[in-house]
Amino acid sequence: MQSREDLASRLAMHYEPATYRRVIAGHDVIIHCHHYNARLQRTLEEARGIDGRGILTAAAETVYGDQLARALRDDDDEATRWAVAERLYSHLGYGRIDLSGVHEDRVSADSSHFVEGWLAGLGASERNVCTFTEGYVQGAVHAITGASVRVRETECMARGAKRCTFVIDRGERPPVAENVKTPAIAAPTAPGGPYVRAAHVDEQAIIDAVVGMPMVGDDAGLIPVFSVYLASTPADFYNQISIGFVEAMRALGREKAATRLLISDAEHCGMNTFRGIMHSPEWDGLIAPMVRDRADALHAIIAISNALGWGDWHVTAHTPTTLALESRHGYEAVGYRQHRGVATTPRCAMLTGVAAGVMELVYGEGTLDERFGTFAASERRCVACDAPACDFAVERVE
Amino acid sequence: MQRERVPACVHPETFKYFLERDAVIATWTRLAARYGEIRRDPGFKTMEVAGPRFTVRSTLLGNPVTVLRRRDCTPDDIAELHAILGYEEA
Repeated sequence: MQSREDLASRLAMHYEPATYRRVIAGHDVIIHCHHYNARLQRTLEEARGIDGRGILTAAAETVYGDQLARALRDDDDEATRWAVAERLYSHLGYGRIDLSGVHEDRVSADSSHFVEGWLAGLGASERNVCTFTEGYVQGAVHAITGASVRVRETECMARGAKRCTFVIDRGERPPVAENVKTPAIAAPTAPGGPYVRAAHVDEQAIIDAVVGMPMVGDDAGLIPVFSVYLASTPADFYNQISIGFVEAMRALGREKAATRLLISDAEHCGMNTFRGIMHSPEWDGLIAPMVRDRADALHAIIAISNALGWGDWHVTAHTPTTLALESRHGYEAVGYRQHRGVATTPRCAMLTGVAAGVMELVYGEGTLDERFGTFAASERRCVACDAPACDFAVERVE
Repeated sequence: MQRERVPACVHPETFKYFLERDAVIATWTRLAARYGEIRRDPGFKTMEVAGPRFTVRSTLLGNPVTVLRRRDCTPDDIAELHAILGYEEA
């Protein structure tokens, strides 16, 4: 059995400053909050006519099975392998899971990023909400034993249970899919822009501070930072569920509705997450002293989002009613190319929604509900369509 | 002492407490004695003490302090914390 230090060293985050990418166990990871993750889950699971739960569990078992396999070593004994699986789950911020009963086909968790997100953002649930964890455990079992199993949650903290419990069904099922994709397109080397810079905001200082934070799960496997719960999620997971959702909806003639839903989730996220961040001690300590006007706040928010791995995006034009952004290596566009090749339409729903959300937060008035929809964003060109950069335009809705 | 509610996705009952200026150092000393060592983040210029069901966090100035509750935080937990902070609800 390996030491805690050895397990931690396998999962150390490597940061690539040129593209703002954060890499853990061979996977680019993106940091989002519990609100966004829970909302995305609800969007997929509550869309009528598609198997949203199936899309989520299939992506989770494939991606986390692959990430875990990369963290394992050939000479690991079995106890170490399960320990790495537990550690990866908490390290990424998903909570605390107990895999000691896996040979009796039972698993439990007493802390959960998704339960926190569901209860905080969506209220009490009448059904179990840990679809993600079902997929994670399926991936772990496959990475460690080679078996393809089904995991079903039987009790959930979101419904008042003391802990979430899961049972493993070892009956026949299709094998776990491999994480198949082409190599990522190269990150641009020539400078982009020209970009608009804030006069008073040291964006690099903000990025360095975020990257320097120990963004790993605490004793409960949660990452309470910026007054939200964060989690480091592989870009492959977000891309597979988004692509799978849009394609499933396209089969029903509802592709545009699917894209609008994904944009809406991100718009809510942009407002809620950054509202919390702007009221956090972290903001007060480093950023507030730099901020003299609303434009400064907007630039600070963009800097934070880059450090979270969202998009390598920067402001190219900005007024109180309009915003233009350029992203050159966003995970959605790059991921689409890896999974599906060149697209016919722009694919960056998350960045599109966040672009509108941050303008509503910075320049809007009233409650968040009153601000929602007061700015509209669109992606004018996209790396997924073989453009050299993704361009976003935001304007106030008159 | 005053407190004001702040928007935080981590918990709807999140408040910022404004300590009396001459009580800041003593308050943090009591927090550390009860809940464990003070941890500092030089990047964001923050400091915090992490209790079992909440975290008390502030800038390096130590004031005001934001109390970030976990979902399992109880009224008894908060009553004990209020006693340490010297806060009395109106």
